[in-house]
Amino acid sequence: MKGNGVTGNANPLRRVGALVDGARDWWEHAKAWQRYLVYLGAVVFALILPAPAIGSFMSPGADWTSVLIYPIGTYILLAVGLNVVVGQAGLLDLGFVAFFAIGGYSVAYFGTQYGWNYWATVAFGIILAAVSGVILGAPTLRLRGDYLAIVTLGFGEIVRITANNTDEIGGARGITNVPHPTDIPGVVEFGLLPAPYYYLILIAIVLVIIFSVRLQKSRVGRAWAAIREDEDAAELMGVPTFKFKLLAFAIGAMIGGLAGGIYAGKAVFIEPNTFPFILSATILAAVVLGGAGNLPGVILGAFVIAWLPERFREVNWLKDVLDRDPAEYRILLFGGVLVLMMALRPEGLLPSRRRRAELHEGTGGMGTMGAEVAGPDTDVTTTEAAK
Amino acid sequence: MSTPVLQLDNVTMRFGGVVALREAKISINPGEIFALIGPNGAGKTTVFNVVTGVYQPTEGQVLFNGTRIDGTKRFKITKLGIARTFQNIRLFHNMSALENVMVGADSHHKTGAIGATLNLPWHRKEEKRGRELARELLDFVGIPGRMTETAKNLPYGDQRRLEIARALATDPKLLLLDEPAAGMNPAEKEALQALIRKIRDSGRTVLLIEHDMSLVMGVSDRVAVLDFGQLIAEGLPHEVQTNPRVIEAYLGVSEDAS
Repeated sequence: MKGNGVTGNANPLRRVGALVDGARDWWEHAKAWQRYLVYLGAVVFALILPAPAIGSFMSPGADWTSVLIYPIGTYILLAVGLNVVVGQAGLLDLGFVAFFAIGGYSVAYFGTQYGWNYWATVAFGIILAAVSGVILGAPTLRLRGDYLAIVTLGFGEIVRITANNTDEIGGARGITNVPHPTDIPGVVEFGLLPAPYYYLILIAIVLVIIFSVRLQKSRVGRAWAAIREDEDAAELMGVPTFKFKLLAFAIGAMIGGLAGGIYAGKAVFIEPNTFPFILSATILAAVVLGGAGNLPGVILGAFVIAWLPERFREVNWLKDVLDRDPAEYRILLFGGVLVLMMALRPEGLLPSRRRRAELHEGTGGMGTMGAEVAGPDTDVTTTEAAK
Repeated sequence: MSTPVLQLDNVTMRFGGVVALREAKISINPGEIFALIGPNGAGKTTVFNVVTGVYQPTEGQVLFNGTRIDGTKRFKITKLGIARTFQNIRLFHNMSALENVMVGADSHHKTGAIGATLNLPWHRKEEKRGRELARELLDFVGIPGRMTETAKNLPYGDQRRLEIARALATDPKLLLLDEPAAGMNPAEKEALQALIRKIRDSGRTVLLIEHDMSLVMGVSDRVAVLDFGQLIAEGLPHEVQTNPRVIEAYLGVSEDAS
């Protein structure tokens, strides 16, 4: 299918692909201590990432640590959450921002109106997001493909519009003076400095990654993969498919809620327009661009999607060429880069092997993510009816 | 006599105006290898789909060990002890052979999201047990060396065996095999025959759909013949083979004979 276009030698990303495959092979055969060394390296890298020396290149125009929190860290958190739904279970969710909003609003509302402890509001927001995930999923997860996408899209809009029209939670004006996270005496103080929030979101990302990987390797992850590949066969092999799809929705929603809670604690101010549809689409783009189903890919995708538009604010050589502020063109540049990346690596930057195979087959994969592509054996009921 | 493992009690299956199955009565005893044969489109796979809960019969009942199972959810029927393979192989193509079988083994596992995320002891125990069972079963069906291979990269015959292993992993009392010999060469068919016997000897009942007559005659204890959704004969293999109605269904009637 699409992959055939990528085989030419002219493609510079081809070599990158070979390098990635090599790294992956090494990783699969790596010993436990080697893996832990890599984990340690990643954590150390993340810890020193806010350093000004790195920031001066990565984000010359804006405060690098703040950019790391929003959009980068927040997008990564959201993308890891959406990846559970889209990448692992193969369910297309176009309204993921709703859970982000629910997490954000519960922190803002219960913090300002009832004076709850910040951490309690975050926990409550996560629970609330999970419950709404189940409420959304219960009637809709019997739908497949396109239909599910449309319903989730509607859900995302409903949440935003409801927030817009409910005066109790500030209506269109939103909620101001959202309390910062409660200080942990002697350890950390959450004020106006961005650094503590960066480490907070870093901890959240690490935890969510650990949970996500463990799920993927367990019975739950196998059930999701089976559902993604052949839902009917999975059901006939004893997988309660509905229950597991609901679980994917709930877990994705919880991660979305967590991201919302952290965001609100840093931003101090939220309003309905903080949670537009375009954010759902952007996070989905991050998941697909990075390589749905493969966590390192998804994280890289989210990073790229979050970082590029910020970086394009300050492109000095362009300023000279265009004789204009390049910030005006940054979304255009961003779109161009996205098109280029999808043309050169249609399976995503770092696709999982399994997902890549599904894409090349043209059945399953994207088919189960979006339109149901009728494969040779998609439906027992029609093909075997007459037998 | 003991309760039949599976009983189809006057099962009719209609799709609009098409009658795929008409008042079918089948009764399968424990420990039997029972073959269902018939020309293409006779309704054999419909029987499988009715038994495994893919279809709800329009009329009649399906009894498994004496309890009604029609209307029960598909995954619950699997848990009760009925597993199947598919006519057109439906493995999880991009998962490894071992993972495919583990999905089957998972049907009796209980670990949910919490057990898995916290890596609780019973989760580890279930994983270990599932992996061991999967290894044993791959060995049992004769493809021990294929563990880490992606399912779709296996040769055709091995894919069929893998499907059987996956079904066995759910620990079925009744195993439904839908044309397991399709596309196999004579040597593979021979081995399959031995495998089917081995499955029966491990205490399971086998219901088999097959077109390969030498396999059917060689392995089954009893044979039933379907034609246009109707059961036209049932009995021992050699009885069925000589039944004039069966010959008629398969070969048609010569004009001067009727």
